[in-house]
Amino acid sequence: MSATPEIIYLDYAATTPLDARVAERMLEVQQTAYFNPASNHPAGRRSQAIVDCAAAQLGALLGVDPATLLWTSGATESNNLAIVGAAKQRQHRGKHLITMRTEHKAVVDVFRALERQGFDVTWLTPEPDGVLPIARLQDALRDDTQLVSIMHINNETGVHQDIAELGAVCRAHGALFHVDGAQSVGKVQFDLAALPVDLMSLTGHKFYGPKGVGALYVRSGVAIEPQLFGGGQQRRLRPGTLPVDLLAGLGEAAAVARTEMLADLQQAATLKAQLWGGIKDIAGIVANGSVEHSYPGILNVTLGDVEGESLLLALEPLCVATGSACNSQSQEPSYVLRALGRTDLEAQSAIRFSFGRGTDSASIDAAIELYRSAVARLRSLAPGAAA
Amino acid sequence: MIGEPYNAMLRDLFVNTEHAGNFDGTAAVGFYEEQGIRIRLAANVMSGKLQGLRFLAWGCPHVIAACEHFCRDFEGRDSADLELFEIDPIMANLAVPVEKTGRILVLEDTVRSLRQAILDQT
Repeated sequence: MSATPEIIYLDYAATTPLDARVAERMLEVQQTAYFNPASNHPAGRRSQAIVDCAAAQLGALLGVDPATLLWTSGATESNNLAIVGAAKQRQHRGKHLITMRTEHKAVVDVFRALERQGFDVTWLTPEPDGVLPIARLQDALRDDTQLVSIMHINNETGVHQDIAELGAVCRAHGALFHVDGAQSVGKVQFDLAALPVDLMSLTGHKFYGPKGVGALYVRSGVAIEPQLFGGGQQRRLRPGTLPVDLLAGLGEAAAVARTEMLADLQQAATLKAQLWGGIKDIAGIVANGSVEHSYPGILNVTLGDVEGESLLLALEPLCVATGSACNSQSQEPSYVLRALGRTDLEAQSAIRFSFGRGTDSASIDAAIELYRSAVARLRSLAPGAAA
Repeated sequence: MIGEPYNAMLRDLFVNTEHAGNFDGTAAVGFYEEQGIRIRLAANVMSGKLQGLRFLAWGCPHVIAACEHFCRDFEGRDSADLELFEIDPIMANLAVPVEKTGRILVLEDTVRSLRQAILDQT
């Protein structure tokens, strides 16, 4: 699935392929249940039943009551709704918020916007291995802290935070705890209801579901302000006609993940060991982020003496991500890797390999060969330091 | 929207770096330290002709392709022709984005230095 004659796709952290079972389910719904689930007639009720089924499937994956899930267009919207919605709902109590410097832009930019609106944000820096010490969060909490947002698995390094410990600190303090779960839901196992998490964002296309659909978990009893207006759907918290086929796909992706997650994880661990084993002897190579505290489907490596953009082009037809800013044409070094202490050049030369269901050993072998030859070629092109 | 960032000529010059390497002959170097760009040009000059040109470069694909472009253009010509070198046609041919202009201008500086080094030796 990941290797085609044209490309070798190792960019699963950007998006995963649509699982064939998900595609089949979506096509079925598109053809037989394209109705508006808000319509009060038999056809509408047929679509609503599909929406309810998707909620049950996602609820089962997460271990939560389906009634605690709000459908959104994806993790970006979920993050916006959770962070802005919670901050504004509680601003009469205080305007202090906490997050990390290594969050995804879909979180960072929301907090930046809130700063411009008068909120006071504390930006926590993790250790060089990417892990946030619990004490650092404890020290940052204030009497007026209302919300803490920490991602579960980092999209660039794969490093995962201890959300159980971090959430317990927030709960003891009385602050809401939001987790960006875009890279973890459907990939690593956890029982969300048992965790001290108040809000969790997720998106379908990171775990073999469709793009354009996601969800926000809102723990029962937690109030947030809506950010969209215009209808009564979803208790007015997120109005808008529900995309039944996308939700059916998301639900199916969740159901598949429930049964295949452990096998997926095991396979990812095997592939990561194969990949790292094939490149770790390259002079100067360094893995970015903690090896112990990381999701096995992501390996981020740095070489300080190879130019990142040239490396990416030399790696074609391998599809991976660089340490440059996400979706940027400016080739700015990754702020995540800079926060971990990497220099501009080290961050800019970083390559993120990410893989998962459908990636085979042959693709990893090809990636190893392409990476080794690209690095050797670019090094041979470079003038010596004394040039 | 991000489209295809590299045209066909850039891809060809980046992949087929026939002039990558070094000579013991006349050489010049250029830097753009802020972005780590480094270029080394070397010329083998005989009877006033650029018998051979070689480059080494650390930089983005546009920088590497521009160096190869220059070497292909000037190898075999009179060394005095270096006076005629202009960076603009290379930038146009490679569709260099405006934000990379500073990087590519390192090549212009290095060609000037190479020309001066050749003059100094003759």
